[in-house]
Amino acid sequence: MKVLMKPIEMIAWFNGEKFPVPLRFRLQAEDGSNLVIKIDRILFQEEEKLAGNRMVVYRCEGVVQELNKVFELKYEILTCKWFLFKM
Amino acid sequence: MSDRIIFHIDVNSAYLSWEAAYRLQHGSQTDLRNIPSIVGGDQEKRHGIVLAKSIPAKKFGIITGETIHSAREKCPGLVMVPPNYYRYIMASDAMVNLLKDYSPLIQRYSIDEVFLDYSNMDIPFMDAAGEMSKKIENELGFTVNIGIGPNKLLAKMASDFSKPNKIHTLFNHQLEEKMWNLPVQDLFMVGSRTARKLNGRGIFTIGHLASLDREYIHSWLKKPGLLIWEYANGIENSEVRSGGTPIKSVGNSTTLPFDVETREEAHKVLLAISEMIGMRARDLEMCGWVISVSIKNHLFYSCSHQKKLTAPTDATSTIYKYAALLFDELWDGEPLRHLSISLSQLQSSEFFQISMLEPFDKKNRSLDRTIDSLRSKFGQNSIYRSCFLHSGIDPVIGGVVMEESYPMMSSYL
Repeated sequence: MKVLMKPIEMIAWFNGEKFPVPLRFRLQAEDGSNLVIKIDRILFQEEEKLAGNRMVVYRCEGVVQELNKVFELKYEILTCKWFLFKM
Repeated sequence: MSDRIIFHIDVNSAYLSWEAAYRLQHGSQTDLRNIPSIVGGDQEKRHGIVLAKSIPAKKFGIITGETIHSAREKCPGLVMVPPNYYRYIMASDAMVNLLKDYSPLIQRYSIDEVFLDYSNMDIPFMDAAGEMSKKIENELGFTVNIGIGPNKLLAKMASDFSKPNKIHTLFNHQLEEKMWNLPVQDLFMVGSRTARKLNGRGIFTIGHLASLDREYIHSWLKKPGLLIWEYANGIENSEVRSGGTPIKSVGNSTTLPFDVETREEAHKVLLAISEMIGMRARDLEMCGWVISVSIKNHLFYSCSHQKKLTAPTDATSTIYKYAALLFDELWDGEPLRHLSISLSQLQSSEFFQISMLEPFDKKNRSLDRTIDSLRSKFGQNSIYRSCFLHSGIDPVIGGVVMEESYPMMSSYL
């Protein structure tokens, strides 16, 4: 996996648990087209507090351009922003 | 009751470590701590000094407080990042929260230094310190030095021994071995001037200072001399104050992006600073007796002037009135790069004696309060004096507001 840290648009589910559940997200591919990726499975999630900044890291599985891939998402609690961290 | 055990926890190159950890979290591939890098102000605005440096940058001889220009000369490939105080406060808060698991008595000595009272705890102090340091490193992504001693002074001296990511102890029986051979300027409260004075009489180590006769040092350097003599002997017994240090003065300053050359312009800058000081004093519910103004000219020569008022004040207009008066007495017409005002000898503004010599303006007080509440609700620049229109001077000037709740440096332990 490569570190990308790309801001993404996310549809997530806030189910009353501690952290939101990411469902699907959209990012711009290199050719400018939009790519929608559905999250099939969350392998694990954990909170990190580096430098006191709270972020939730999710390792997920999903189909990207017809390939089953593992990637990591990050949710920054302070700013409510989602990132594609690694893929 | 057994002896006191005090921890002093000091973040290694604080601003830089926090910046590095934050950047790694946001996908940065390089760790600022492993390359020559600094956190520093904006040179365009002439706030260009080194606030923190990495250990590789230190090897180039870069020191905290020097100008970015000279730092760059020492190390051409230097990476510079601007400071972000909000982030640093977040990191500092997270560290204090983590430390609260170990003791309820925590004193935030500055944004990156904390005293913790670990007396009479179950876990042995070395184990606890090791655990703290590991936990901070793993969870928060930066390293700390921990100094352990029987009082705050020795804990602070211990945390300074060797860096980074170390734990040191300094108890009274270790003074001779660990502290007395250090140069005298390494002692807390001994600045460059005092060190020069001491060196002038052949005193070069802390041990030598400690061995002097108490009466001799008292007659020579008076009360401050006695203090450093006690420190040299490891004598200090202040409490770990979890309530924070009491505020003794409210001051703000500004380094201007251009040199101020006219009296009118300088007065506007003073007014803008007065706005901030008045606002802060009223927020603290304090008013002050003494106003002082200090200026620095384009050749970096600085001087100051102060006045005791006939009645304490927290009013923007009164602060400005006296600041302008003091300024006029002080200024000789040279171009200025830096102006500051401070309000000291504070007391509660709940009750105070009004003066026969000074009109007490009730309307002005309520005007100030109204402006404060407007500004806190709609932003600092939501309402300002018309003289600042098109003047190129910010209507409210004063440092980093958030930083104020943590003293950057203090001589009170």
